[in-house]
Amino acid sequence: MRKTLWHVGLSTAVVLLMSTSAYAQIATQPITATAVVGARGRITLTGTINFPDTDPFTNPTINGAGLTVQALARVAVGAGVSLTVQAGGNFVSPGGDAIPIGNLTWGTAGDTGFNATGTMSSAAAQPVGNWTGPGAHNATQTYTLVNDWAYAPGNYSVTLTYTLTSP
Amino acid sequence: MRIALVSSAVILLAVVAIEAQRGTAVLLVNLPAQARISLSATSVTFPDADPTTTPLVASVPVDITISVRARVQPNGQVTLTVQSTDDLRSGVTVLPPSLITWTVTGSGFAGGILSRSAPQLVGRWTGSGVRIGTQNYRFENRWTHPTGIYSATLVYTLASP
Amino acid sequence: MSARRRTRRGLRIGRLLLILGLLAAPAVAGAQQLELTISPLTVTFPTTDPDTAPVLIAAPVTVQCRVRANGNRSWLLTVQASGDLVASQSQIPASAVTWEATPAPPFRAGTMSSTQPQTLASGTGNVNPAMTGTVTFRLTNSWTYDAGTYLQTLTFTLSTP
Repeated sequence: MRKTLWHVGLSTAVVLLMSTSAYAQIATQPITATAVVGARGRITLTGTINFPDTDPFTNPTINGAGLTVQALARVAVGAGVSLTVQAGGNFVSPGGDAIPIGNLTWGTAGDTGFNATGTMSSAAAQPVGNWTGPGAHNATQTYTLVNDWAYAPGNYSVTLTYTLTSP
Repeated sequence: MRIALVSSAVILLAVVAIEAQRGTAVLLVNLPAQARISLSATSVTFPDADPTTTPLVASVPVDITISVRARVQPNGQVTLTVQSTDDLRSGVTVLPPSLITWTVTGSGFAGGILSRSAPQLVGRWTGSGVRIGTQNYRFENRWTHPTGIYSATLVYTLASP
Repeated sequence: MSARRRTRRGLRIGRLLLILGLLAAPAVAGAQQLELTISPLTVTFPTTDPDTAPVLIAAPVTVQCRVRANGNRSWLLTVQASGDLVASQSQIPASAVTWEATPAPPFRAGTMSSTQPQTLASGTGNVNPAMTGTVTFRLTNSWTYDAGTYLQTLTFTLSTP
């Protein structure tokens, strides 16, 4: 019987066994992150302003409880921010009696930028605080009312409007 | 004796006649180390929001799906990091990248805080394979941020030694 | 012993030798002739990303067979791996290798095994002149394979069982 012999190339196999591979691999992928920071403001008032009935002789002025004022403003760098307050008119009772709004004053303790004192007006907004740039500003306002024998008895009230602006 | 010897010789010849032909070849596969990262988004945006009601703003899209594919040496370490190339910038006004944080889902993935000074770990694994997880970015929203539209490029890097 | 008895004994021996000789006659005078040629000797799979190529396809292998003096007997061509594909301490199962072969028949497709020879072609009678088949090996590509150079020996066997 004839046999056909066939040989394998062993030398080729040896070369293959000595092959090596590169191991260090780096892959990168970029993305873009964008944050939109818009202009906005917020005023937070905490507390009530009440002046109890007292003897004008012993208490020529009446202090109300403290009003916590927080002014939050997000504006551009260097932009001005102002907080004002204005009365809607004089103190008025249901019977039609009035107490001049100018008899209402206030003192402020808190962050830099708040005015230390002020007198209420219904004719023009009165400055409460002024700042530059974005930020959060906190203070406590204590209102004081002149206690006059000339006031007619009654329950008096007035609306105070705070306004936060940035030009 | 003569008969036995002849019989043995005949039997031996019969066995040799039935055989096969064989040949061999070598199967060779060279698999180099490879790495690939795929992200489901090329950008994320944090919309404007009131810092009082939304102190942390979620990104849009909410989740980024991350697919990490790596072929490494046995027990080779695979790491995924992210780094900001700059501060968050709006013109000349900047905000620190550390205002952006993230949480994750998926085995091997890690939450963190963005930085421009060093890559931050997003995931770490051992050996070859495919790993898929999600990343959820948040922006710290403050009243003290100057207004503007701030952007930065975040670079993900997948590395295997 | 008488001459008559010696003659009878000699004739019996002769008949025995003749019978044994006739039994062995096909192996000696008309034994199958098998020829097997494989080219190339190395089957190399290309290096491609599993995402790009989920299946790696090697260049075709030419297998040439010739069977003569086979009468009506069957013949069989098989292939078997000597083990899994191995690179240092990493392995790829031999069963990850499959093949397509033409012309079909007598060639057929199959899946590699390291435990059992797998039929590559079969038939009956002679194959003369020699037939040439083309075998294309395929390897399932996966990110789970470790990096490395994997090798394994394939043994082709042409036989007339």
